[in-house]
Amino acid sequence: MIKVRNLHKYYGGHHLFKGINLEIEKGEVVVFIGPSGSGKSTFLRCINGLEYFQKGEIDVGDIELHSINRLMPDKKGIETIRRIRLKVGMVFQQFNLFPHMTVLENIIEAPQRALGIGRDKAAEDAVTLLKRINLEKKVNSYPEELSGGEQQRVAIARALAMKPEAMLFDEPTSSLDPEMVGEVLSVIKELVDEGMTTLIATHEMDFAKEVADRVVVFDKGDIIETGTPEEIFTNPKTERAKIFLSRILKRSIM
Amino acid sequence: MKTILRLLSLILGLIIIFLWTVPSQTSGTALEKIKKRGHLLWGSDAEGGAPYVFPDPKDPSRLIGFEVDIAEAIARELGVKAKQSQNAWDSLIPALERGDFDMAMNGIEITPQREAKVIFSIPYYIYTEQLVVRKEETFIKDIYGLKGKKAGTLSGTVAQDILMSIGGVDVKIYSGQVEPYEDLALGRLDAVLLDLPIAAYYAKPNPKLKYAGSPVGEGFYGIAIKKDDKEFKQETDRILAKLLRTGEFKKIYEKWNMWNETQAKLFETIKDSGSYVGLDESKKAPLYTFLPNLLKGAGITILISVVSMALAIILGLVLAILRLYGRPPLNALATAYIEIYRGTPLLIQLYIIYYGLPNIGISLSPLTAAFIGLGMNYAAYEAELYRAGINAVPKGQMEAALSLGMTQSLAVKRIILPQAFRIALPGVTNDFIALFKDSSLVSVIAMVELTKTYSILAATTLRFFELGLIVALLYFAMSYPLSLFARRLEKKLSNKK
Repeated sequence: MIKVRNLHKYYGGHHLFKGINLEIEKGEVVVFIGPSGSGKSTFLRCINGLEYFQKGEIDVGDIELHSINRLMPDKKGIETIRRIRLKVGMVFQQFNLFPHMTVLENIIEAPQRALGIGRDKAAEDAVTLLKRINLEKKVNSYPEELSGGEQQRVAIARALAMKPEAMLFDEPTSSLDPEMVGEVLSVIKELVDEGMTTLIATHEMDFAKEVADRVVVFDKGDIIETGTPEEIFTNPKTERAKIFLSRILKRSIM
Repeated sequence: MKTILRLLSLILGLIIIFLWTVPSQTSGTALEKIKKRGHLLWGSDAEGGAPYVFPDPKDPSRLIGFEVDIAEAIARELGVKAKQSQNAWDSLIPALERGDFDMAMNGIEITPQREAKVIFSIPYYIYTEQLVVRKEETFIKDIYGLKGKKAGTLSGTVAQDILMSIGGVDVKIYSGQVEPYEDLALGRLDAVLLDLPIAAYYAKPNPKLKYAGSPVGEGFYGIAIKKDDKEFKQETDRILAKLLRTGEFKKIYEKWNMWNETQAKLFETIKDSGSYVGLDESKKAPLYTFLPNLLKGAGITILISVVSMALAIILGLVLAILRLYGRPPLNALATAYIEIYRGTPLLIQLYIIYYGLPNIGISLSPLTAAFIGLGMNYAAYEAELYRAGINAVPKGQMEAALSLGMTQSLAVKRIILPQAFRIALPGVTNDFIALFKDSSLVSVIAMVELTKTYSILAATTLRFFELGLIVALLYFAMSYPLSLFARRLEKKLSNKK
């Protein structure tokens, strides 16, 4: 469903991605792990066009985004990026709810304005989504009245309201207090169980083991290893992956 | 700490030395002071223009004019030098009362209102008011043809009183003598009534203008002197009479092309030095009688401020968006606009819009020019406030909106601007209040708003203090509710957050 071919990206003078290739099947759950700054977040952000890239192509379904369309977008390029964003939803580390809108308004804003769905229908769908994440009581609250975990669940509902074909999670639990991580992960787990194509960048190794069809290990902008959770966590092939995993696992034991 | 103390004591020392060396107001009569000082200080406004007192076109550092000649003659008789003291015409009398100079001489008409505040010398010139119209004018033949027409004059002059007394004349008040004739030539006015010396100098050489009828409203120019300087007045009268008898006056007036038969009457005034006696009505008029005028001025101030601010808010928004999101060269143009408008004085912008644009065929009414001048100027400031507000909205907000499939323009409109506006609101309110007060600057383009109403009323009645307090109160009554409203709005918006 998502194909990344020969992706190159420079950050200032730094050559971060040196030709990444990756293919993700429909319904597949791929978890991206790796040290901070290794490029896993940037990779997800490239897929829905929030980041420039200098070379390569990204296919989402039958839409192709070529680097040139992202670098110097003409009208057609801008439309291409928008069509990709309509297919893939994104959830951010910082939630990024709109502070001047209620929970309901946050969720119905894009369906109403970007898809042209009527307000009543959009609100009905929003309430259904809120029931699924047990937040129907907060429908008229403002984001600042919610806990971090609740805000992130609303952010997931907001992305789902656009009925995406795939979801990108960019470290969805990294800025949450530990006791709130579980409630967010269980919402993501539910989605995965329903068969949503899901890409997650995370440091939650246990969660990765639990939900991933495939784990991708990033280091310094390279994909150093891919495989099933079992292969990666019990028997990593490369030295760099071993070092990263031993550090991470040591930390989670302590 | 030590260096600060040393610096402070140094400054204190300098202040003491400064106070020491400034000549203290020594007691003694005005005459004694003048002689001791070695020069006669006379107040006038060189901006008022020719032929009274004005910079020599050949050497602008030097002042010339018939009043300069008279002042020099008086000083010579006193055995001292004459020294001009620059002061805005409108406030020559209060400045004289305050003791800024020994006498004020600048085409000041002897009126009962002024005589209540100062004493006048015997007249040194008999002025008349000359009506000037455009060359092709056929309807207006004298001041009685002015009903329903637009006529311009200077603020606080007898000509203004004459125009007002006709009734039904749309009187436009100016503070300079060039501008009314400019506006007349441009068709913004139907006629101008001003003192003959002014008309002779500014209107007569202009091929587009002509005199209508013969001069009206004879009156006297006198030298204003502080009320308690009686001795100085007598001395001045003696000198003026001497200059008149020796024919020196006539020579001066002939030099400036101002001599006419009317001036012969000056000799009668030597016999009876009393100037004309009139009713002292406005001096005694209770304050509330000024309210209708002041409220009308306040109404115009509100109209100008509200319309200009609305324009500034809309144009500012466009500029901020172009500057931040516009493609080249639009973003650069927006930046240039903002920098130029912020970097040049509003007064110059108003002059260019009102008096400059007619040169390229765009002639705006004073009100339109005021809206556009203030609105375009404040738009630059609003644009910067919005830009700061937009930049203060976290980057993630735009990313979240885009990731939901919203277009950039939709995201700006629905997500960024509402948040940016909240951040910018205190600044915008502040600017609105500042604009309320800056609106007084449009008096230079013949708009009589509150401040101008005040200076006109105060200049004719000389009641600067009471009227000033009322006007200040009116301004406050307009701007304070605005800050209250803004505070409530801010509170309401932050609750909703």
